[in-house]
Amino acid sequence: MTLREAAAPYIEFARKAFSREATYRMEVFTSIGSLLIRVYLLRMLWTALYAQNAAPAGIPLHAIITYSTVALLMSLILEVDGTRLIRERIREGTIATDLMKPISLPLYYFSDGFGQTVFHAATILPSLLLALLIVHVDVPPFPVLVAFVFSFVLGYLVNFVVNFLMNAVAFWTLETFAIQITVRWISDLLSGQIVPLIFFPGALQTVVLSLPFAAIYSTPLLIYVGTIRPDQYPAAFTIQFAWFVGFAALAVFVWQAAERRVVVQGG
Amino acid sequence: MVVGPCAEESKAMPIIQTRDLRKVFRSVKRTPGVAGTLRTLFSRTYEDKVAVEGITMAVDAGELVGYIGPNGAGKSTTIKMMTGILVPTSGTVEVAGIVPYAKRRQNARNIGVVFGQRSQLYWDLPLVESFELLRAIYGISPERYRRNMAHFTEILELGEFLKTPVRQLSLGQRMRGDFAAAMLHDPHVVFLDEPTIGLDVVAKEAIRTFIAQVNADRGTTFILTTHDLADVERLCKRIVLIDNGTVIFDGPLERIRERYGTHRVLVVELADAYPGFAIDGAELTGREGNIVRLRFDRKAITAEALIRRVTQRYDINDIRLEEPELESIIRRIYVEGYDDDAASLPAAKA
Repeated sequence: MTLREAAAPYIEFARKAFSREATYRMEVFTSIGSLLIRVYLLRMLWTALYAQNAAPAGIPLHAIITYSTVALLMSLILEVDGTRLIRERIREGTIATDLMKPISLPLYYFSDGFGQTVFHAATILPSLLLALLIVHVDVPPFPVLVAFVFSFVLGYLVNFVVNFLMNAVAFWTLETFAIQITVRWISDLLSGQIVPLIFFPGALQTVVLSLPFAAIYSTPLLIYVGTIRPDQYPAAFTIQFAWFVGFAALAVFVWQAAERRVVVQGG
Repeated sequence: MVVGPCAEESKAMPIIQTRDLRKVFRSVKRTPGVAGTLRTLFSRTYEDKVAVEGITMAVDAGELVGYIGPNGAGKSTTIKMMTGILVPTSGTVEVAGIVPYAKRRQNARNIGVVFGQRSQLYWDLPLVESFELLRAIYGISPERYRRNMAHFTEILELGEFLKTPVRQLSLGQRMRGDFAAAMLHDPHVVFLDEPTIGLDVVAKEAIRTFIAQVNADRGTTFILTTHDLADVERLCKRIVLIDNGTVIFDGPLERIRERYGTHRVLVVELADAYPGFAIDGAELTGREGNIVRLRFDRKAITAEALIRRVTQRYDINDIRLEEPELESIIRRIYVEGYDDDAASLPAAKA
């Protein structure tokens, strides 16, 4: 089998997920609407906070507004729950029919999630244009932009494996809602999506920056606003990549255990 | 006529072969009550439940076998082992020369599966998109895809709803779509699990005709699991009956009919009340007003002789002879167990 033939099912899964998302057009408008409200609220919040205390951690107001707005645009992609398919298939029992297909299920779920992502990525540009009516967003020089996109891709992969692991827990518990909520809450706080991690005080900052969540939002965002300088890029990328590889290895291990559990215990 | 790859398959070797296939599920034994729940958190005792207990069977290529048993008999556990998504506790299973659980993905290329209760189609997308996805999954060549699609579209009459999203299809249309989806890659063996459940008479017949036709034209082997014995009567020459995880009968449907179909019921509407109604050689199994039901053994007395006995003693208005239905025969076997000799000779039992 050629690589092309081997990849064909997964490309098709991604395309089908894309078309499926496109059938829910209303959802796109509501998510853009909610994004714009959040952009506006964060602008108000930061402006009020900065009126009290000028430029904490040396970040000026326009930079923090840029930071929050870009973080919200990133969330359009990162909050797509591409791995929810796993827990849905487990709960509905359709995982058995999936196993009766000549495919790798983790790759299936990844490509399905990727197809959803591509669809939602298409909404980023209109969202950005609309956001520009509300706030001013700084645009860094082109090489920094490239580094940001690269780091964002690594963050996307880390986010995928973390979500994958969370959903794979459904193999044991069937229900993952409580875990989802908890991890999402912790992740929102510790990933730097809401508050830049460099605002955290001394020791705590060192801790949160070394957690995997930082690899999802914080690293690309700090590259964007210039806090991480070009000479620090290699180290930043390496850490992100290491988190991805580590979690991916864990995910493979968990998946094998899960599949073994299904085939031995009948799911 | 379209000939699939399985038509050339050698008939000499069985396409499905199981030997002493056994599956035991182990689960944590739960003690009732709060204290019991707490105790199970710390010390666990396990209990084993035997789902399949030593099933040995062989199915030849091109056979259409009815795999029948009451709920919890072990049918779906066996099917899961044949489809490679469950590992047997002991014993062996081979499908088209492959050990399914050892090579799940390779086995998946040889089999097709239809679940009446569960669709494998993409819910939100037009039906045809699910077929395109399957073409990519199985790497079906464009030429074969076109040929099979043309064939299935014609005999399953899919044309009118190919572009309709699956969630808008009727159950009958959805099932026809699911059948085409399961057959698109020319599988050697197709497992059908309750394929006609919930369908109306017309849709049931369309599905049965399709199965019979594919079996005849392409030589595809079918394993049919169903509670609707009309499916079995219409389609299967052979049935495998299982209960409590073991095979209790494996053979031609005819043989069951011969063994168990010897009892018939004569329904007589009497012209008068006749309080002490009784007839030698037949058992009175029911009475409703003037209508009586007489059960008799075809081998002990002919219907003609019995009718003569009745009319000699009583005045009657109407008379009707009932053949035993397969369903009541099977129900009797579940209750009494299959007994090759005693069934035909009820007298020898005592």
